[in-house]
Amino acid sequence: MYDKEKDLIGAFMRGQMGRRDLLKGIAAAGMTTAAAGTLYNMMATRALAADFDWKAHSGKSLKLLLNKHPYADAMIANLKAFKDLTGIEVTYDVFPEDVYFDKVTAALSSGSSEYDAFMTGAYMTWTYGPAGWITDLKEWINDPTKTNPNYNWGDFVEGVKNSCAWNGQPGGALGSEDAKQWCIPWAFEQNNITYNRAMFDKAGVQIPKNLDDMIAVAAKLQKDVPGIYGIGLRGSRSWATIHPGFLSGYANFNEKDLNVDADGKLSAAMNTAGSKAYHEKFVQLIQESGPKDWSTYTWYQVGTDLGAGASAMIYDADCLGYFMNGGDNKMAGELGYAAFVANPEATQSTPNIWIWSLAMSNFSKDKDATWYFLQWASGPEHALFGAVEMDFVDPVRNSIWKDEAFREKLNKKYPGYVEMFDASAAGASIKFTPQPLFFDVTTEWAATLQRMVAKQVPVDEGLDQLAESINRQLKEAGLG
Amino acid sequence: METTSTLEKTLRLLALTLVVIFFMFPIVWIFLMSFQTNETILRIPPQVIFEPTLSNYTALITGKLTSAAGTLDIAFMKNLGNSVFLSVTSVALALVLGVPAAYAFARHKFKGSEDIAFTLLSFRFAPPLLVLLPLTQYFQWLGLANTYIGLIWVYQLICLPLILWIVRGYFEDISADVEYAYRIAGHSWFATFRRIALPLAGPGIAAAGLLAFIFAWNNFVFALVLASADKQPVTVGALAFVTSSGIQYGQIAAAIVLSVTPTLALALYAQRYLVEGLSLGAVKG
Repeated sequence: MYDKEKDLIGAFMRGQMGRRDLLKGIAAAGMTTAAAGTLYNMMATRALAADFDWKAHSGKSLKLLLNKHPYADAMIANLKAFKDLTGIEVTYDVFPEDVYFDKVTAALSSGSSEYDAFMTGAYMTWTYGPAGWITDLKEWINDPTKTNPNYNWGDFVEGVKNSCAWNGQPGGALGSEDAKQWCIPWAFEQNNITYNRAMFDKAGVQIPKNLDDMIAVAAKLQKDVPGIYGIGLRGSRSWATIHPGFLSGYANFNEKDLNVDADGKLSAAMNTAGSKAYHEKFVQLIQESGPKDWSTYTWYQVGTDLGAGASAMIYDADCLGYFMNGGDNKMAGELGYAAFVANPEATQSTPNIWIWSLAMSNFSKDKDATWYFLQWASGPEHALFGAVEMDFVDPVRNSIWKDEAFREKLNKKYPGYVEMFDASAAGASIKFTPQPLFFDVTTEWAATLQRMVAKQVPVDEGLDQLAESINRQLKEAGLG
Repeated sequence: METTSTLEKTLRLLALTLVVIFFMFPIVWIFLMSFQTNETILRIPPQVIFEPTLSNYTALITGKLTSAAGTLDIAFMKNLGNSVFLSVTSVALALVLGVPAAYAFARHKFKGSEDIAFTLLSFRFAPPLLVLLPLTQYFQWLGLANTYIGLIWVYQLICLPLILWIVRGYFEDISADVEYAYRIAGHSWFATFRRIALPLAGPGIAAAGLLAFIFAWNNFVFALVLASADKQPVTVGALAFVTSSGIQYGQIAAAIVLSVTPTLALALYAQRYLVEGLSLGAVKG
């Protein structure tokens, strides 16, 4: 039974047949897509098992802590494949994002062994790693007896992989030789432009080419399209206001958050002439074309307004634009995507990124078995399943971005997304300086931005005050 | 004179109407939102006329939430059940422990009684986050982490001081002479407590129980830190509607309507009981 279909799938897995031919063959054999999917998973599992002793930890059990997110949903949908492959039982707790990191922090800081692995952002590992709450994964990645030969660590997007590795030295370069791999990137978000194509057509404007152009385009959209505002940007008093479009554009002008001197001492870098000029323009953009209650805006509001047709574009996470282009959003199918180069003298987009990653708890009772889960969940087979069958965007593996079926899916439903990714992936990385006061520095930065936008303080004066305050905090913490 | 009176009445009615509208508007709006899809809720400008749908309630009850990311499993009804179970059992336990303790503090002055009572009250002063991390470790050692028993125990930090201090005040307001008279008739102190003190303090106990229930119902952080996802109350579960693929406003509104219903029903019931209890009180001025 299904011998012919198995041959077809086997040929596809060996690279002897394209996806389109496979689908044609499956259809010709009278098999449903769902049945073919099951058969494919079964055969992929067998193929994986052929090269590596996946059953080494059979009978053990693991518990995961997950954020309520499409990435977690994609993993859960494919979890049976892992159980079949390894014989390891996996249970999980899923918590909403608003409280997720409180739960993670509470579990780790109390030394709880309840969870073996969990989802995290790379920024958070700058706290978890030095505190001894998570494990350096290099030991497992580099051990051929523990990592399957098809894992292909070199397949990860370079800037993303490096952004998850830090040597623990304040100001130390991410991805340096001595860096510890605190987490494995799972999927990531680049901060670029998502725009409403109909509104752009109505106002007769093109995708902004640089920051000055963005100011002009956003203003024209707001003027010419009734009942909307020009550009959705985050504005709450939080690190999350600095991290998306704001920092991506800032980095494009080669500006930094902190300086690191030869002795490894840190100092604020926000009050340089270049930084002040950038801030002036960004503040102008928010004042002229941002949402009215910008200072309360988180990604929820930025995304919701775009999906509801209340804003003409956003300079934020690409996957936020991806999700707003589907479901019951009013603007579903109306959105387009583009890489953004803020600096007219720059040749490439340099998006700051958020990386949903997987980390291993240092309190896990069985780290080897946990690594089996981590390598499967971040492996190429699951990445392909998630990207093609679910909403596992943006994948962190180059091979997935080359996959014909995935590119076709994006091109069909998300016009410009592939081009956006191709144009900016090489420049995508975390642009912040890793250091323990990350959340304090960025929250104060966001608060200063709020005061500038509210015209409570001139930009140059506000940035001087910010730099002074941050330098004081760095000195008090022994970092400056 | 009559003109002034009519004007005064009209103004008073107008003021009352404005106050009612002011306070009721968010509740009515949320109620209306619970019968709308995200698309109609986010319409600009907002519209009062819409085609009502039960899809939000259906999603909550069936546990299947349809969003931009596809169909997601949600555990709202489980969360609601957890809230009911945790709040009811915690308040019941706090009543069993707190009412006799309140009576003892009110009637029997002994050495250190005020200190003990104040210590119990001080549980309300401690910021929950300050005690939660050590508690997490203790709970793991004791095997109480991620158990309903552990949570009910921790919920006593909320319920017990409230009940103890409110009910103590009620017992102190009841004249001890009634109890003495009953004791002289040959009844034990426990019978006096059960047959005289408890019925007289009934309204106070009901009020304290209701207040403790509301505080327990609204608690967020204890279960979040100390328990797994399957034991989370509705306060944590309601956040699941804020998803990466958008905010499910309709479901949030339906969840609010469903989650306030038990508290509202209890408050309405207890209100009637309170009035009855007060009007039937044995000691009147």
